[in-house]
Amino acid sequence: MAEGQDKTDLSVRVPDNERSGTSVDRLDLAASATTAPPAISPSLNTATSVTAVNLGQVESARTRSGLIHADDNSLRPVATHVVPNVSHPVDAIPLIEEEMILPNPLVKYEYRPMEDGQGSEAPEPHHQSQQVIYINAPERNHSEINITCTSKYNFLTFLPKFLFEQFRKYANIFFLFISLIQQIPNVSPTGRYTTAFPLLLILMVSALKEIIEDFKRHRADDEINNRKAHVHRGDKWVTVKWVDVVAGDLVKICNGGFFPADLILLSSSEPQAMCYVETSNLDGETNLKLRQGHRVTKDLLRGEELASLRGMVECEAPNRHLYEFVGNIHLEGQSAVPLGPNQLLLRGAMLRNTGWVFGIVVYTGLHTKLMLNSTSTPLKRSNVEKLTNTQILLLFVLLVVLSLVCAVANSVWSGRHAHNDWYLFFDVEAESNFGLTLLTFIILYNNLIPISLQVTLEVVKFIQAIFINWDLDMYYAPTDTAAMARTSNLNEELGQIEYIFSDKTGTLTQNIMDFRKCSIAGICYGNNEESKDAFNDPTMMYNLHSQHVTADTIREFMVLLAVCHTVVPEIHHDTGEIVYLSSSPDEAALVQAARQLGFVFTTRTPETVEIEVFGKKEVYEILNVIEFSSDRKRMSVVVRCPDGKIKLYVKGADSVVYERLEETQLYSDITLQHLEEFASLGLRTLCIAKVDIPEDVYEEWKHTYYKASTSIHDREKKIEEAAELIERNLVLLGATAIEDKLQDGVPETILKLSMADIKLWVLTGDKQETAINIGYSCQLLTQNMELIILNERSLDETREALVKRKADFGDALGKVNDVGLIIDGEALRHALSCDCRKDFLDIALSCKSVICCRVSPLQKAEIVDLVKNAQKAITLAIGDGANDVGMIQAAHVGVGISGLEGLQAAHSSDYAIGQFRFLQKLLLVHGAWSYSRLSKLILYSFYKNICLYVIEFWFQIVNGFSGQILFERWSISLYNVIFTVAPPLAMGLFDRFCSAETMMKNPALYKDSQKGRLFNVKVFWVWIGNSIIHSILLFWMPMLMLTQDVAFSSGLVGDYLFLGNFVYTYVVVTVCLKAGLETNAWTWLTHLAIWGSIVSWFLFLVVYSNVYPLVRLSPEMVGMDRYMLGCWLFWLGLLLIPSACLLRDFSWKVFKGTYFKSTRQRVQEVELAKKESVINGSPRKKSSRLITERARLLSSTLFGRAGRVPSSSPPVPPSPEIPHGYAFSQEEFGAVPQAEYIRAYDTNKDKPEGL
Amino acid sequence: MATNGNGDISQDSVEEKPKSRKPKDTKFKQQKLPAWQPILTANTVLPALFAIGIAFIPLGVALLVTSNNIKELVYDYTHCNSSTTSGTCAEFFQNTSQTGETCTCVVTLTLDEDFTGSVYMYYGLTNFYQNHRRYVRSRDDNQLHGDVISYSDLNDDCDPYKTVSDNGTTMGIAPCGAIANSLFNDTFALVYQGSPNEAVGLLNTGIAWVSDKNVKFGNPSDWQKSTYTKPPNWKIPVWNLSLTEESNNGYKNEDLIVWMRTSALPTFRKLYRRINHNGTTFSNGLPKGDYQVTISYHYPVTAFEGTKSIILTTTSWLGGKNPFLGIAYLVVGSLCIVLGVVFLVIHLKWGKRHQETELELFKAPQYEVDPLVQVVTLHDRAM
Repeated sequence: MAEGQDKTDLSVRVPDNERSGTSVDRLDLAASATTAPPAISPSLNTATSVTAVNLGQVESARTRSGLIHADDNSLRPVATHVVPNVSHPVDAIPLIEEEMILPNPLVKYEYRPMEDGQGSEAPEPHHQSQQVIYINAPERNHSEINITCTSKYNFLTFLPKFLFEQFRKYANIFFLFISLIQQIPNVSPTGRYTTAFPLLLILMVSALKEIIEDFKRHRADDEINNRKAHVHRGDKWVTVKWVDVVAGDLVKICNGGFFPADLILLSSSEPQAMCYVETSNLDGETNLKLRQGHRVTKDLLRGEELASLRGMVECEAPNRHLYEFVGNIHLEGQSAVPLGPNQLLLRGAMLRNTGWVFGIVVYTGLHTKLMLNSTSTPLKRSNVEKLTNTQILLLFVLLVVLSLVCAVANSVWSGRHAHNDWYLFFDVEAESNFGLTLLTFIILYNNLIPISLQVTLEVVKFIQAIFINWDLDMYYAPTDTAAMARTSNLNEELGQIEYIFSDKTGTLTQNIMDFRKCSIAGICYGNNEESKDAFNDPTMMYNLHSQHVTADTIREFMVLLAVCHTVVPEIHHDTGEIVYLSSSPDEAALVQAARQLGFVFTTRTPETVEIEVFGKKEVYEILNVIEFSSDRKRMSVVVRCPDGKIKLYVKGADSVVYERLEETQLYSDITLQHLEEFASLGLRTLCIAKVDIPEDVYEEWKHTYYKASTSIHDREKKIEEAAELIERNLVLLGATAIEDKLQDGVPETILKLSMADIKLWVLTGDKQETAINIGYSCQLLTQNMELIILNERSLDETREALVKRKADFGDALGKVNDVGLIIDGEALRHALSCDCRKDFLDIALSCKSVICCRVSPLQKAEIVDLVKNAQKAITLAIGDGANDVGMIQAAHVGVGISGLEGLQAAHSSDYAIGQFRFLQKLLLVHGAWSYSRLSKLILYSFYKNICLYVIEFWFQIVNGFSGQILFERWSISLYNVIFTVAPPLAMGLFDRFCSAETMMKNPALYKDSQKGRLFNVKVFWVWIGNSIIHSILLFWMPMLMLTQDVAFSSGLVGDYLFLGNFVYTYVVVTVCLKAGLETNAWTWLTHLAIWGSIVSWFLFLVVYSNVYPLVRLSPEMVGMDRYMLGCWLFWLGLLLIPSACLLRDFSWKVFKGTYFKSTRQRVQEVELAKKESVINGSPRKKSSRLITERARLLSSTLFGRAGRVPSSSPPVPPSPEIPHGYAFSQEEFGAVPQAEYIRAYDTNKDKPEGL
Repeated sequence: MATNGNGDISQDSVEEKPKSRKPKDTKFKQQKLPAWQPILTANTVLPALFAIGIAFIPLGVALLVTSNNIKELVYDYTHCNSSTTSGTCAEFFQNTSQTGETCTCVVTLTLDEDFTGSVYMYYGLTNFYQNHRRYVRSRDDNQLHGDVISYSDLNDDCDPYKTVSDNGTTMGIAPCGAIANSLFNDTFALVYQGSPNEAVGLLNTGIAWVSDKNVKFGNPSDWQKSTYTKPPNWKIPVWNLSLTEESNNGYKNEDLIVWMRTSALPTFRKLYRRINHNGTTFSNGLPKGDYQVTISYHYPVTAFEGTKSIILTTTSWLGGKNPFLGIAYLVVGSLCIVLGVVFLVIHLKWGKRHQETELELFKAPQYEVDPLVQVVTLHDRAM
């Protein structure tokens, strides 16, 4: 769309004293647009079609007002009220354009401006991509129910859905098939219901688990759906549940509240219907965003006014683009006016720094942009599970082969015996059918595939997940959040993580800025002990009050902090307490600091700023505000001081400020040193400077600046040039250092994780400076680390840079080098394109740390996908906002930070934890434990089943491959349901090879699970081999023992089941003892499981032998208890045979444990050896906090500078110089420019109540 | 303050549930249950291995001795010479038309030594697949329990020995099934060739499991003789199995009960009779010498290449003669000793070195010092 390129020209506003007064509408455009009716659809269609093609880019496109307002208020008095101008209803028409990070010419489009005259015709809601909402008439609106629904089932759908889910699993289909063929007469060797029954039992357990899990989801949904919203209905305010909010409702949201649906902002407690929203939940950006209601609605400040409001809102059909919206509001008796994203308040965002807002609900429920952006959580399956499934398939092949062999052998045997063995009845009955025989054997061996494995796994994982929820170490008291495993099928995956992709804001950082240190006139303050948590340096106060040589500078410095900003103070009515409202947390922190030091910013009027210096009021007239932008990297104000002098106050990045200093500076070197020191601590620094401006110079400049700010062409450039004229010959006052507060324990956690060979990538929507800064403060980057910064703007440049960097690495490529890679979203987009992808990945994998900044949610997911697919590594994504949802869902494991407002990420995550540092426990302990437990459980489940069922095969050899079973049919059925179900459960739940503390202290232990050493194809088949050996011993030894049949001194003989029960008992005992042998930690529950299982079999034997004829079940068991337990052979065998079986396992374990000790065994031994000393002596007091502090200082400050000298190897290209610790977050190109925003305020006036 | 706005929500969400979500600090929930953590190394298991070895070897010897003290005589009479016809009885029955007739063999068994204690008489069959699936299933336990059931309700697995049709009338088989039909029907009489010759008393009760006789097998209140008939291979109906002893008649006949316990292997023996040790000659068992056995040879085994034998044996507390268990104990015990020695040798020879590394391990910072400190030292070294 060609018009887009002219936007600046067209949208320039004539300097005006009335904010919404005369403005130049894009008349030419409007005129041209009239030729293309229907008015709205063409541009819309274009927009949507482009969107479809270029979804990726549009996703990340940011909005920006097309209008650039002249900062001309210094010249004219600002109107105290706003005169609505009906003839020019178009004000601040938003233009959507992608922000500079993605300047794709294809995706330029804009809203079609609304022209006068035409707006009076109510547009027909004929177009499909449009929807109409009638204000105050909810009954006329078709509203999507405003419900959050993450649950899977309801009463009616449960059974069909559940069965469908269950029978999608191969194993269940298989067992269903077995149950069915067991119904064919004369085929089953084990009766008709011996598979159906356990299957039913297992399905019931699964169903129970599903019900419990879904119940939880229902409760979580209800919690959200039942939140309260204030809705204006029937002339009064009523409180309704979120779920009852419908389109067309007028709602009121108070400060700190979430928007229950997507709303059109009508009016707010702030001037000009402005309000702040925090969207970090949606896009991950930290600064607050300004939204402004339309002029025609901004005066709707009272309930009565709302009640009489009639009209309609037209808007585009719901779509998932967060930064796009087009619509019209058509109030009765007025012409329609356009609405854009600046009027849209999205569900998921939160109202901040604003008393209240009124809004009309437009999109509800699934139509909200938040919901449209959330895809259903994909079904994730863990690596171990996949491997298990492959092995199951192999076992299935084995089963079929075994059955085939037996069936063939059966035919051969029958052929030989059919006409001779008169006692059988081959001559009477037809020759047996090969197919049926095969089925018989398949039924016989079906449990080579453990029927109970699936359900045991599910139960164990479910309980493991509960253990995660119960973990006190992962409970975050301030927000009362415990860890929550939202899915239980990825527990073991947590033990195999190789890459972590982390969001920054809210995850690594708290998004709280704290003023920590400053350097004034070459003296550094804030290094003292008292300032450890908050700035509190009495020296400064002393210097200020004691006529110290720097006293004046200190004063000037503090005044600057209190004056040079765009913060608006709000005085609380009752307490008189001042709350500072700012879109930039950095500025708020500075003003806050000034207040604490006695320079209290109290009042802002359109022209002045009032501060109280130690109780004395001073008024500074704000002449000009030259805004902050990321190109300028500074902001300045021109003020007239109380003494009448004109001064320019500047704060900005050291690089830009130092360039503009006057030549002779007293403390520039020492300040620079302080800056470096601050930066090395990971603090965000700003340089503070001022310059006195003579009256005549100012008068002259004022006009230049005015011209620049009203120019039609290249306004930005001209303003910048004009600013350059005055922002020079600066006098350096000092520097500030703000801490972007990290979450607790972040550097330690990162260190621990890196010791466990887990690589951490930070993916943030924030700016490069901020990201690098955090990189340093959380020790992801260190001072002696080379940085590779990629922020190329085009594909070719990016490709070139990548190739060059790759070449620079040389041999070091592919190894982990002490290099940090910082890549910008724009460069990343190119780097992720097909032909660069490989190079980018090669470089990224060769770097120790990778930070991607300004990345869109989609890019986050793309990066995760890239690493996931190219590296075949297990990935974890952690984040707290809706912008992280993509990567959370893309990664193998998604972790959400819960507790604070960000629920969206937590809802789509697999695990939700309160703090980043809990990741340590989650991975190093729960992950590693779950992995090793489940590995054992799975291996053991296969082992025990194969052990029992291969015995059936050995028995076939002696019974003519007839398919006869050696055991009683229900005994085998209960094998997996009762007798051997507890040991794997105990193994899966309570086994641990060393304590949680030891696991945490030795991250190296994680590598065992990470590298999958405990469960892989080799390990699996070794176990299978072992179980076959056991089955041989377990069958042939009792058989030889009973070969003469006479087992009693009374001369009685047994039968096949007598031998069978011998064997069965030995199997149960051996298998349980094997579980014991594999168990590292025997808790009382483990004891109960192992001994209890053995006892349960004996109990069963006794009971079951006596039920006939009371219950017509298994007469063949009659008397077994009495004769077996009274048989000496049995007991002698019981002593001998299990020990003979396990002798090999036992000695191998001893041998390995003694001569090929693995790390974990060593640690285990050391731990046990230390246990007693720990019990005896008091445990060592930890002083990790201090150590950390010192470590940081030592590692960064002392030899930080030395490290900056490029080291000889590896040969890494020098990185571009970046300013020291500079980072500043503020919304740029927002709905209302900051300079204008502050002019709208007069804090002496009362705000409307909004009732 | 820009960052100070969430007070309201937390109040909002908390107001209705003041209950903290803090997990309980119990040992179970925090996975801190006290546990026994056995560590298996050569040092710790050496004593155990030796102990097992030392316990098993004498036990094995004892078992072997016990087994060897059992006196056993096995006589294969498959091809015994008929005393009534020419040739062997096996040949006699090769003519299938003679099935069901009697062939008698008279054989002499010689005991080289006294069989002291209780002596039992068994018949042994080989290559007889009593454990074949179809065979095992071919019975009706309810019928054997003595339930009165109509023949149509008999277990289908009994087919083809469930019913017989004779001239249009269908009759049930009692007892039905292949097992019962193939009941072993040779009989033996034993005469001691002493001075004078004395017939050895053979007891036909007490040879089945007590539980079988009392619980599992029973006679029906009504034999339903009009609708039930004998199995095809039988000569007499089941209700006439023992006309002299009512308690051993019908399904409660112990020969039947013994046969109905199908054996695990195709080579098996079943208890035929207990020797009656009342009286003087045989009160201490069977004295050595010759015994004449008169065999009523009915049961054809050569058709399936089987053999049948007559077995006289004493028992021990372990049952019959079987050296396997003793040998197995000896082998496993020896293995334990061997393993113990191997571990001991390795331990003595290489153990020291391992101890050294373990000591080093104790010194290693990895397990002793907080890793953070370690990093600092690493940095120092790097400088």
